[in-house]
Amino acid sequence: MKADEKRNRVLWCSIAVVALVIALALSLKGSKGLQWVISGLTVGSIYALVAMGFSIIYASTRVINFAQGEFSMLGGMLMYTFSSQVGLPAWLSFILAVTVVTALGAGFERAVIHRMEGASVVALIIVTIGFSIFIRAVAKWIWGTDPVKIAAFLGEEPLRFLGASIVPQSFWVFGFTAVAVILVFLFFNRTLPGKGMRAAAGNPDAASLVGVSTSTSSLLAWTMAAALGAAAGIIIAPINFAAYSFGVMLGLKGFAAAILGGLGSAPGAVVGGLILGVLEIMTAGAFPSGYKDAVAFLIIILVLLVRPQGLLGKPEGEKV
Amino acid sequence: MSEQDMLDIDGVTKMFGGLAALKEVSFSVNRGEIKGLIGPNGAGKTTLFNVLTGVYRPNAGSITLNGSSVTGLRPDQITSMGMIRTFQTIQLFEGMTVLENTMVGCHTWTRSGLFSSGLKLPGARREEEKIREESMVILKDVGLDTRPGEQGTNLPYGQQRMLELARALASRPDILLLDEPAAGLNQYETGELSQLLLSLREQGLTILLVEHDMGLVMKVSNEVVVLDYGKVIARGTPDEVQNDPKVIEAYLGIEAD
Amino acid sequence: MEKLEKIDATEKGRNYRILLILSVFIFTVPFWAGLIPGSILHMDIVNLMVLAGTYACAVIGLNLLVGYAGQISLGHAAFFGIGAYTTAILCTRMAWFPTWLGVILGGLVAGIIGWLVGVPVLRLKGHYLAMATLGLGEIAFILFTQLKGLTGGTLGILNIPSLSIFGLEFDTEFKLYFLIWAVVMLMMLLSINIICSRVGRALRALHSSDDAAEAMGINTARYKTMIFVLSAVFAGIGGALFAHFLNYIDPASFTFFLSILFITMVVIGGMGNIWGGLVGVIFLIFLPEVIQGLPHWIPLVPESLTNFGNYELVVYGLLLILFMMYMPKGIAFGLSRGTSYAKTKFGHLRDRISARKYEGH
Repeated sequence: MKADEKRNRVLWCSIAVVALVIALALSLKGSKGLQWVISGLTVGSIYALVAMGFSIIYASTRVINFAQGEFSMLGGMLMYTFSSQVGLPAWLSFILAVTVVTALGAGFERAVIHRMEGASVVALIIVTIGFSIFIRAVAKWIWGTDPVKIAAFLGEEPLRFLGASIVPQSFWVFGFTAVAVILVFLFFNRTLPGKGMRAAAGNPDAASLVGVSTSTSSLLAWTMAAALGAAAGIIIAPINFAAYSFGVMLGLKGFAAAILGGLGSAPGAVVGGLILGVLEIMTAGAFPSGYKDAVAFLIIILVLLVRPQGLLGKPEGEKV
Repeated sequence: MSEQDMLDIDGVTKMFGGLAALKEVSFSVNRGEIKGLIGPNGAGKTTLFNVLTGVYRPNAGSITLNGSSVTGLRPDQITSMGMIRTFQTIQLFEGMTVLENTMVGCHTWTRSGLFSSGLKLPGARREEEKIREESMVILKDVGLDTRPGEQGTNLPYGQQRMLELARALASRPDILLLDEPAAGLNQYETGELSQLLLSLREQGLTILLVEHDMGLVMKVSNEVVVLDYGKVIARGTPDEVQNDPKVIEAYLGIEAD
Repeated sequence: MEKLEKIDATEKGRNYRILLILSVFIFTVPFWAGLIPGSILHMDIVNLMVLAGTYACAVIGLNLLVGYAGQISLGHAAFFGIGAYTTAILCTRMAWFPTWLGVILGGLVAGIIGWLVGVPVLRLKGHYLAMATLGLGEIAFILFTQLKGLTGGTLGILNIPSLSIFGLEFDTEFKLYFLIWAVVMLMMLLSINIICSRVGRALRALHSSDDAAEAMGINTARYKTMIFVLSAVFAGIGGALFAHFLNYIDPASFTFFLSILFITMVVIGGMGNIWGGLVGVIFLIFLPEVIQGLPHWIPLVPESLTNFGNYELVVYGLLLILFMMYMPKGIAFGLSRGTSYAKTKFGHLRDRISARKYEGH
């Protein structure tokens, strides 16, 4: 139980640090600081969603899905096709895009991951890397290399708020992330399949008692992760554009956020994502913009060296 | 501690969370003796092994090996100082042959590094031959010299245990910590093990033996220490311990078979 | 101790024989490759093999790290790049600077940086180590791009001189081929020796279990760092040779994808098989060329395959997945399984005979 207390302490400490950084930015830079904070939280929310995808799959199958970022990329590109090219309404395009990506994720789990039970960690990493290369190559073939613009869900006009200008899409991002986090939390803590999935990770026998086999659990995890990833890619697309190559960085950042928060921990993913997002924007303000990613990765490595299991992860030994 | 102590354990305490797995455990192992360490499941025997070999750091107390303190050292440092262990669950190296597993044991007393090995300098070559020779001799001692090229993990269970023992012996230890070496062995194999342990003692090796097989412990041990709930509750010759009412109550009374 | 040498299962003798045969083959390639008319071959074998040789340096080291010591690295492109930039900067800034020294320094600088990052980072395990090395690779890439004064930014460094060793110029692919593959074969020899030594056994032991290895007196942290540094040195040398081969480098040559390519070469070739790295490099370098060549050689294959570059990555991705599903131990393992089947039958007999000899002693 001591470990739990310690994790809670780490959770509050990291929230406090983020709050401090935000407060500092606000007091020193005023409305510009507020602008940074909001952009940081927007990007951070997306990282959090992608990181949750990583964590859900990892928690139930011990696989790191290096194709997680490609789910987001595909979501954005499909949204573009359905809404701009076909001309469907935004809500329908959203549902269709998420459905297609989810089906792809579930299909990959059944066709490949499911058949590789007992494979080494390295083999599983390589398989998902192969999948990501495949998706990216197909996307390049279909959509070409140019970034595409997707219309915001509700107008493009920035809102003025305490001197900062906020694109309305940011509110969609915040809202969707909040809803997704709550739904994921409720699923894992309140529903029988969710509890079963948590059990399946630790104890397959106990899990099969509540009717969730490791096989079902793995399928559910991939389905959810694909859906979360696709949705993240769609809601960020109006702010950041969409292109076949955008999945790589998004995936790396999501992975980084998941590791930062502690692999396999859903709250960790959210905390990790938000910290990473804010950090990135802050460092972009303080350093030449080219170093943005370098600083983010450097900080993650430093955190890992102090807490090798991530901020909220449980310590464990494993080998490649 | 006296001159003849090989290993001296003084007031060792180990806490997990708020629970004490070991409470001020003190005893010493004399040079050249086999000391039995028994106790019911969960008494703290394996925890004590982990503390002795540096896997866990004790919360209090000190451990002295051959006159020098090993408290708080890393496992590999302690092994290099002459105390080596075997594991309760067999931990052979995967993908390595019987001979190679034993050769790993020779790590402590050999020195070849990356350069001398990579360039095959004469020193490294000589050392390698010596390692191979000595490993074969040890394999012969434990009766595993017939198939040195077999994968270690492909051996039958009993032979895997013997291979773990061979690997430990290859380190030229002063004291051997055996964690249930007879677990899973049949009667015949256990008999051979006890012969081997006695002959190792003849050769001057000191052994601390954790074992559930009472027959074996009582047969080979010079002295037995009984652990229960992390505390030493009795010590003495096998006869004394077997007749100690506290021991019978804690242990033999329940599990005598 | 001849007999003991024979029953040693590390197969050192066999590996030496393979190395010898392979060297003879490799060093004859440039002589006959040029004789095949281009209208049949449709690829420049020597050019591809030189490129493969530079990658092989990195992959051989990585195989020691991943396949034998079990420590993953998703950032080895960084060391390849550090080696390349070191020699490129030295040899372009100072015209007198000996290029061979640049290559050696490339390996050395990569090794030093490998040591500096390896000491802290190798305390991490599994996915966390993967993340940390990936992050280091990204940081290196960003530095290559951003330190414009030193690296020339995204434009890179042009006019890197060709290699020359004491007046001996390696200014053509043909000449460079022999130099690079000699380096590769030397690295193979070193690897074979290391794997069959005290150090190699320590690495394989800690791959199997950190705890058991430590219980045997192996300082696991030290050995992990040691092999990480060695793999960085190999990659650095490979990168430096790469720079002198292309005479031009830019950050785009050392991205995350190169790290992934290296790991993939190790895995597809055969992790933990001493020949796996080489097999993987040659397979993945030649695969796209062979697929593009198919329509020229076999009339039924559609002409569109000559534009393979357009969908090369689709096939590449699929291939990775299929390999991991159906041949997770790699090509080299598949190759050796056939020969070892016959050998084990024979080997059992041999063991029994030598065992009997021992009893006689």
